[in-house]
Amino acid sequence: MADTAQISAHGGTQPARGRGLFGLLLVAIPVLLVGWLIIYPILAAIVSTLLVDTPEGATFSTASYRFFFSDGYSLANLSLTLWTTAVCAVLLLVCGLPIALYLRFSTSRFAAYVQGLAIFPMFVPSIILSYALIRTIGPNGTVDLLLNAAGLPKLPSPYLTPWGPVIGLVWDNLPLTVLMLTAGLGAISSSAVEAARDVGAGPIRVFVHIILPRMGNSMLVTISFAVLGIFSSFTLPYVLGPASPEMMGPFMMRTFNDLADPLNAKTQAVVSFGICLFFGLFYVWSIARNQGSRSR
Amino acid sequence: MTSRSAPFAIRSSRFDWTGLFFAIVLTIVIAVPLLVVVTWAFTEVWRYPSVIPQQFGLRYWQQTLVRADVWDALWISIRLSATVTLLSAIICLPAAYAFARMKFPGRDIFFLSFLASHAFPKFGLLVAIAAIFLKLDLIATFWGVVLIQLVSTLMLMIWIPVAAFQAVDRRMEEAARDVGASPLRVFWSITLPQAGPTIFAAVLLTFVSTFYETEGAWLIGAPQIRTMPVLMISYINNQIVVQYGAVLSVILWVPSFIALMFARRVVSNGGFAKGFGA
Repeated sequence: MADTAQISAHGGTQPARGRGLFGLLLVAIPVLLVGWLIIYPILAAIVSTLLVDTPEGATFSTASYRFFFSDGYSLANLSLTLWTTAVCAVLLLVCGLPIALYLRFSTSRFAAYVQGLAIFPMFVPSIILSYALIRTIGPNGTVDLLLNAAGLPKLPSPYLTPWGPVIGLVWDNLPLTVLMLTAGLGAISSSAVEAARDVGAGPIRVFVHIILPRMGNSMLVTISFAVLGIFSSFTLPYVLGPASPEMMGPFMMRTFNDLADPLNAKTQAVVSFGICLFFGLFYVWSIARNQGSRSR
Repeated sequence: MTSRSAPFAIRSSRFDWTGLFFAIVLTIVIAVPLLVVVTWAFTEVWRYPSVIPQQFGLRYWQQTLVRADVWDALWISIRLSATVTLLSAIICLPAAYAFARMKFPGRDIFFLSFLASHAFPKFGLLVAIAAIFLKLDLIATFWGVVLIQLVSTLMLMIWIPVAAFQAVDRRMEEAARDVGASPLRVFWSITLPQAGPTIFAAVLLTFVSTFYETEGAWLIGAPQIRTMPVLMISYINNQIVVQYGAVLSVILWVPSFIALMFARRVVSNGGFAKGFGA
């Protein structure tokens, strides 16, 4: 077992060459799948939207991008998507952070119940959630019924407005936000918090001076992950959102399937990649860094 | 959530008002929409503005369950999820073992490459893949949908099992080897029992997430391959009888409920969140 011990110690001596090849063989299929079904389609989408077939052969052209950025409808869809993503990200932090803080520091019997409920939406598929929200906040839904029974005036229903997807997406993304923020809070030592309290710091000062500086990174990772998911979400905006303008997910689906226009669908996809590039890079970078520090 | 200090005025001697607040708010926000669906599924007549249905009954269960499109979709969904889960397990679990235990050139880069599926906006990626499938005539075929679902499961089926294999106590394996157990025996009697529950949870989550995956199945499968979630969307869009959607939701939720029972421990112990980079 001496060789496994060396393998676990990162950067140990090279094991037998045969073992290395065997390892490569074991990971070959999934790695090739990533290459064929993730890396290659992305590169192909970028190249094929920039190279246009002409009688003289493929030439470089930015026509499909010029169309996207001059088309009012495309731009309206893009700005609705950006708005929804930003509002959801802020709401997720505002809702998720207090719950994560509570879960990290509470020892009461409510904590297990709160954790269970906060994780629960992970086990509710977005299609069932869409249906449930139509029946709850839609026209003549449960909220309407209860307000009516209490003799209160009707609220305008968020169903088929931009707020419909916002409510659904926050509901849907809350579990991972809470889990990731709680994991980030776990890295903050209790002794640092206790020391601050011993010298008389209140909860807010503890939060601002001890907790916030230490979890900035995990908050950014959480937000990056949520942004990547929300920006191109499909089911909830499609079912709960307005028909026009629409978010990028339904927009791409319609362009690809109903309009049978792969070129413009790919252009929309590449624009999405470009806008999310920062979040994607940050996400990968921070995980790579964590992974590196963990295996050393 | 083991014993921790309480800097936010939550002391054992005082009543936990914060906890009660979160418990009540989350119960209302999370549980009420789901209860509404369950109520609708068992409702025959529910006219505005009554707060509770006028008439309960099982009539719509029967009406939903005699529909041929429901059974077709259910059969396709089950076949699809089983195929994807099996393929994913066959190609990913050996790879996960290799990533956890072996050293080979490019190991770290390859391991991180699985993140690629999470580092791009998902639907954009699906459209890019669909454009490739269009040329390969994989659109509207069963195997096209299998491939696109397989991509979404890769990370789940690599990262969680890798963490499981890494968490196995090496000293126990070495002790077994020292008393003469063969490598296969060690794997079977020591490694697998320890890593098994987490791997089982990953397999279960893969099955369930494939079962509910909507956008890839629609984008690639439409119009021939219609899974349960895609059928559900068409029910919502066409606004046919409200109860059909409710009954389908209740039926559809069963696999998820089973997953919830088994996978909750894995999901809540922090390792799962670490798999997403927290």
